[in-house]
Amino acid sequence: MIITAIALGVLAFVLMVVEYAGGRNFVTQPIVVGTMVGLIMGDLQTGITVGATLELAFLGATSIGAVIPPDAMSGSLLGVAFVINAGVSPENALVLALPIASLMLIFKNFYYGYIVSLFERRVEACAEAGDWRGIERLHWACGLGFAGMIGIVCGVSFAAGSDAMSALLSAIPAFVQTGLNVAIGIIPAIGFTMLAKTMLKKSNVYIFLCGFAVVAYFQLPILGVAIFGAIFALAMTQLTEEQAQVSVEGGEDDEF
Amino acid sequence: MSSDAIKRAVEAEVQGGKVSKAALNKTMWRSCGCSFSWGYELQGNIAFAYAMIPVLRELYPEKEQMAAALKRHLAYYNVTNQCMTLNLGIASAMEEEASRDPSFDTDVINSTKIAIMGPISGIGDAFFWGTFKIIATAIGTSFAMSGSILGPILFLLLYNIPAFATRIGLMHLGYDAGTKFISQMSSGGLMMKVMRAATILGLFVVGGMCASLVSLNIPLAVSDGVNSQTVSDLLNQIMPCLAPLMVFAATYWAIVKKNVSSLAMIIIMTVVSIVGAFFGILG
Repeated sequence: MIITAIALGVLAFVLMVVEYAGGRNFVTQPIVVGTMVGLIMGDLQTGITVGATLELAFLGATSIGAVIPPDAMSGSLLGVAFVINAGVSPENALVLALPIASLMLIFKNFYYGYIVSLFERRVEACAEAGDWRGIERLHWACGLGFAGMIGIVCGVSFAAGSDAMSALLSAIPAFVQTGLNVAIGIIPAIGFTMLAKTMLKKSNVYIFLCGFAVVAYFQLPILGVAIFGAIFALAMTQLTEEQAQVSVEGGEDDEF
Repeated sequence: MSSDAIKRAVEAEVQGGKVSKAALNKTMWRSCGCSFSWGYELQGNIAFAYAMIPVLRELYPEKEQMAAALKRHLAYYNVTNQCMTLNLGIASAMEEEASRDPSFDTDVINSTKIAIMGPISGIGDAFFWGTFKIIATAIGTSFAMSGSILGPILFLLLYNIPAFATRIGLMHLGYDAGTKFISQMSSGGLMMKVMRAATILGLFVVGGMCASLVSLNIPLAVSDGVNSQTVSDLLNQIMPCLAPLMVFAATYWAIVKKNVSSLAMIIIMTVVSIVGAFFGILG
């Protein structure tokens, strides 16, 4: 039991590193995770089929932009492990997988929101000193720390059993979970402030507002925003150029 | 070639301001770590700086220049993983020019990055999270459902072959396009115009991202005795996404005008969110 828990924790860690340091190559998708768990626990067939079932179940849960869905990797890793271990039917894997995926999301959000920000401060200090080796070290430390956290939570979760996981999840007050979700919705404003800081002036606030308004009123996807933005930018630079030409010609007219 | 261009070329020879193929390749492979050190605050910024390091090391042997370049590449960054190399290629070409020509306005490097990352993510997400993933999943699961090991193998191959081809191709595309673009730009006042256009496009896109990616729901109900509405509904009637706009304005004011650090800002936001959720104001 303990050995299997450690093996699953190590598997989760390795898969996370291969996925995120290897260009999002999808080794943490349920279909691959299920296969690997099956291989470790000696029931490859079940691993592959349950993995495929969960793959389809989590199909809608893809991360686009800054929105992170419930963690399909840990959910399917533990779901498949519990199915093989307890011999429950494959359909029940999803019932086991979802609470774990939601619990893991809380850990992930904590790491993404707070731990990575601590890394950011040290990275800034390294950049200030021109210390590129430091930035390389911090990049790896940040990613390995994340994978390590996931690995430990997966291992402990398997050892504790699925009932304990559900109990832990319901022990967190609802308002704290809601509050953290609210915070995740507004924290990206900090990043956009940093971006806008270098460009935004009193004289060009309207350009920012224009981009904001086309999304607010027309729900334009970001590619559309960029197309309108490019047309806007071209039109404005061309207009100022024509104005400049007109004033030059006007100047010549005055001489006659 | 004008005498200016010849002078620049000679200077480039002297200073060695040219990135080697080996460095570009290293940077390309480092793009695989795009989501490795990802976080909510500045997202993929550490990974971007990390990926640029092989190129920057060749261009900036001096510490001060290296520090300035590293800080430049630590700005907020987010993109579809496989498309990061387009930004890296263009940025490499621009850094090459910046290292040769001290009058090169380095702000344009980040404005271009911001202007491009949004649209390529739009296309990239559609291709990778939409098309390629769906095809790989459909074929992979159809084999895996019957317990065949071919399922996961085909799934990984069908997704990763186009993914890595894109990653490698976009690096060269970005670098070549960037180099060509700069050589055309350095003649006349074109540079100024491009700067202006890039800033306008950048601001426009940031405005759009604010509306789509910042969200705040205020379920607190207000009643005039007859009808009951939530504050969010009221705000949306005035202008959709007004709440996110107010969040952005407050954040901008705190960070830019009041010099609140972004880490303090994260803590403030979390405390306000949890307290707000406790009283049922936010949710």
